[in-house]
Amino acid sequence: MSMKRRLLAVLAGAAVVATAAVTAASGAPAADPGITSTSIKIGGTFPLTGVASLYKTIPAAEKAYYDYVNDHGGVNGRKIDFTILDDAYDPSKTVPLAQQLVEQTKVFAVVGSLGTAPGLATWSYLNRNKVPQVLLATGDSYWGFSYKKYPWTTGWQPDYPGEAKVYGKYIAANMPNAKVGVLYQNDAYGKNYYAGLRVGLGAKKGNIVDAESYDATAPNVTQQILSMKSKGADVFVVFATPTPTITSLVTATKVGWTPTATFINNVSANRLFLLAAAGNGANVDGIISTTYTSSSTTQRSLAGVKLASSILDQYAPALKASFDRGDANIIYGFGVAWTFVYALQHAGKNPTRASLMKALRSLNTGANPFVYPGIRLKTSAKDNFPIEQEIMIKWGGGATGDWTPFGKLLGPIR
Amino acid sequence: MASLVSRRSAVSTGISVPVLAILVAVGVFLVVGSLVSDIFAQQTVAGLAQGAIFASLALALVLIYRATEVINFAQGELAMATTYIAYQLTLWGLSYWLAFFLTLPIAFVLGVVLQVVFIRPVHQSIIAVVIVTVGLFILIDGLVTWKWGADLKFMKAPFGNHVYRAGGVAFARQDIGVLATSILSVILLWGLFQFTKIGLAMRAAALRPAAASLVGVRVNWMLAIGWGLAAVLGAVAGLMTEPTQFLQPTMMQPILLYAFAAAVLGGLESPAGSVIAGLMLGVFLNLVGQYVGFATSELRLPLAFAVLLVVLLFKPSGLFGRKQVRRV
Amino acid sequence: MNARFAGRLVVIAAVALVIALLPFGLTNYHQGLGARVGVYFIAILGLNILTGYTGQISIGHGAFMAIGGYTTAIMSHDHGTNLIATLPLAFAITFVCGLLVGVPALRFSGVYLALATFALAVSVPQLPLKFSKFTGGSNGIRTATAPGNSWLYGVTWACAAIGFVGAWLLLRGRTGRAFRAVRDSELAATSSGVALPIYKTLAFGISAAYAGVAGSLFVLATAGFAQPNEFGIILSLEILIGAAVAGLGSLWGVVVGAVFVGLLPEISASVPVLGSGHGQDVVFGLIVIAVMILLPNGFAGLLRLVESRFKTPIESDSTTS
Repeated sequence: MSMKRRLLAVLAGAAVVATAAVTAASGAPAADPGITSTSIKIGGTFPLTGVASLYKTIPAAEKAYYDYVNDHGGVNGRKIDFTILDDAYDPSKTVPLAQQLVEQTKVFAVVGSLGTAPGLATWSYLNRNKVPQVLLATGDSYWGFSYKKYPWTTGWQPDYPGEAKVYGKYIAANMPNAKVGVLYQNDAYGKNYYAGLRVGLGAKKGNIVDAESYDATAPNVTQQILSMKSKGADVFVVFATPTPTITSLVTATKVGWTPTATFINNVSANRLFLLAAAGNGANVDGIISTTYTSSSTTQRSLAGVKLASSILDQYAPALKASFDRGDANIIYGFGVAWTFVYALQHAGKNPTRASLMKALRSLNTGANPFVYPGIRLKTSAKDNFPIEQEIMIKWGGGATGDWTPFGKLLGPIR
Repeated sequence: MASLVSRRSAVSTGISVPVLAILVAVGVFLVVGSLVSDIFAQQTVAGLAQGAIFASLALALVLIYRATEVINFAQGELAMATTYIAYQLTLWGLSYWLAFFLTLPIAFVLGVVLQVVFIRPVHQSIIAVVIVTVGLFILIDGLVTWKWGADLKFMKAPFGNHVYRAGGVAFARQDIGVLATSILSVILLWGLFQFTKIGLAMRAAALRPAAASLVGVRVNWMLAIGWGLAAVLGAVAGLMTEPTQFLQPTMMQPILLYAFAAAVLGGLESPAGSVIAGLMLGVFLNLVGQYVGFATSELRLPLAFAVLLVVLLFKPSGLFGRKQVRRV
Repeated sequence: MNARFAGRLVVIAAVALVIALLPFGLTNYHQGLGARVGVYFIAILGLNILTGYTGQISIGHGAFMAIGGYTTAIMSHDHGTNLIATLPLAFAITFVCGLLVGVPALRFSGVYLALATFALAVSVPQLPLKFSKFTGGSNGIRTATAPGNSWLYGVTWACAAIGFVGAWLLLRGRTGRAFRAVRDSELAATSSGVALPIYKTLAFGISAAYAGVAGSLFVLATAGFAQPNEFGIILSLEILIGAAVAGLGSLWGVVVGAVFVGLLPEISASVPVLGSGHGQDVVFGLIVIAVMILLPNGFAGLLRLVESRFKTPIESDSTTS
């Protein structure tokens, strides 16, 4: 047996040497992979199946936008070829899929991949191979802060802790004597939100009378809400994924708890979810959240919303129905895709991976039609958070209502 | 044939004195606690509501086991799929309750077909059956996601949103409806097994297939009918779960685990036992979460299974099950 | 021993040669895939020892993989332990865990055991969330260095080879006969003096240890990153399915089972009719069911069928393994 192993080791060693020799002999590549004069290949990993698959409309919307751009001449004559791969939110699948995109599909850039754990699993590999890993679809702030160590990685949306700070500051300023009850998911996602809330509350963080965590596999959160009610909380903050958020709102009403103010995170503030909560008996009027995208229901006259609508009609009619009911994931996808195209347009006539990153790290534009009017995408050498502005919104109109923005555009929120 | 089966059932009620005593003690504890503290009462009520949902799926698991000696790992997915079928019916214009009652026979047929096509060829080997039901789990999940997508969908709440209040405690009509449905299902099932010829034939087919076929029971058909009925119970469970979990392919997965725990805890052969165990599990989880600091949310699931394993170590046939005597 | 045995040895040698030489013709990406197949090979081998040879069903081997995987990640991350050195450590730790599970498992049989191990598979991945200070919680924890794909391929298949030979030696001896006796008839085994509890528990321990090493290599193949989502219930189901396709109770089909589970997602991703994602699940589920119905003894059973065509009349009297 040891003979065989020795033989194996020798053979493996020989293989490594041979491969290295071959690569060295082939010389430096003339252009980056994935880009020709007529096309540019990009790809991303998304949870099309499994627990997070309700976000699969995001890559579908992005593809629709790229199809639209391709039909209008592409970017500097290059058509965008977007590969969507399913990692089911499982890092052990994301890693080989990322390798597949880089080594088999030979993409120019990895764009819009969804999920924090998948991102953390692959950012070493992608950065080591100098492959852009950009516009990640998650609000964790690692991508914004780690640009020194991982210069090829960027996020897009406002980060969760920053968003939670907004709620904290609002409560401290407008409800200084509130007794706050917080429900958060018991992983880094929820804990980061909770930490941001405490920062936002500042001196008033002592007003938190009950902080309850719940597990993503739990079928309900009734016990936690009852606990908050019993401790006399009168402001309810929910940092959860959509299903538990809806359940929390319904449960709160059912057990007869009427907080004077309820805050939910932007991820759960999709109009469809509020309608569902109301349909199941929750009191939804007055719920507060934030947004940074245009609304496909209340801002139909905006150029961006009209454009999105027409793109869907032509390239992704299956998404139209939920778009019309206010599904924010779709316009989110458009916003990301627009940003990529914009950066590509500003990466020179013959973009390279480096010039793409340069364009993404020096954004300064208010022209994205899909974000909330007035929001600018801005990055610089020391600031790797493209969007840092948000506006607060409040729900009105009960089971057939919608969000109304109030106050001023806030930001930078960190 | 009746004597073959009833002799065993005379011994089989399975409720031994210690278990009964525990049940009574628990009941007293809950009542006293509720009178003393509002929050205790509300947690108990909420626990019963959640437990009723565990119980409804546990019933389907117990029925399949009792009728076919098989554990169906795909039971939750089947329940989910039949709920989607009901949803599709409402999309085609049927009212909620019409869709509900139309889904039941559809579920029955689906259960029979699955048993005949997939389980019957392999049912002599437990391992093979387990693997086939695992394959079904994955297959059904894939089919549903393919046909309807994975985004959240919503149906109308079957019992409405009204909430009754008594003392400081809220009772949602929806929760009362789920509890009532579970209890009704147990009663109907018990009636089926005790009083009808088909029920008797099913029990015989499961316990003594060779003897049963000698007296004219079509054993294969009884097994298929068992699956059909379990699918019906599963559809009911799915529809009762939808108001709290909403409609998504993963909706039954959190419930399935607790339903298994409830089914085993109560005794895999006892429908009433699984319902009681489900209710107890729901209340236990809520009360422990409220009053035991260490039992944070990550430990909820492991705790439930720890309890399960402890009970199984001391009474493997579950709280209400019969002792399994293996004749050589 | 006889011609049949020599024939199988030739086949094994040929397969081993193919596996050893394959990486030279493969791209880096495909070497990574090959390493992944090797990981499944080891896990399936382990499960086969338990379920195939002693008849104890486990749907919980993902939990043992998680324990092994986190051992490697934590030891490397916190103590800079050499990656290969973490493998025997994972082996030892999961062996003990397997024994600890095997003891209460003696009280369960058949479906109850399946349920209990199912419970294990679901609960264990929750624990890293609770003890997030040590395990990185939902952000995961990574090894100090991430190995390259050719290293992975070589180490994984070397471990697979060691594991295979070890299993073969174990199973052809007294222990193996005791295992088979347990599976075929516990009553007969006990009455012929086989100490049931010892062998049943031992099987659990060994089986878990294999899964532990597989888990370590699994984490290494995921860029050295250990995170709860990697060890969901689906992983346990995949190993069980791989063992079934391989053929429970025989070692000869394990490669096929590993290739099936490791590569099917690749292949079915290109199945046009059902498209992406969910298409894979449908194909996977259908194939598994078809295999169990048509080929209940898996690939090993197929091999035996084929072999029996070539048997001489005299040889066909000899007992099968």
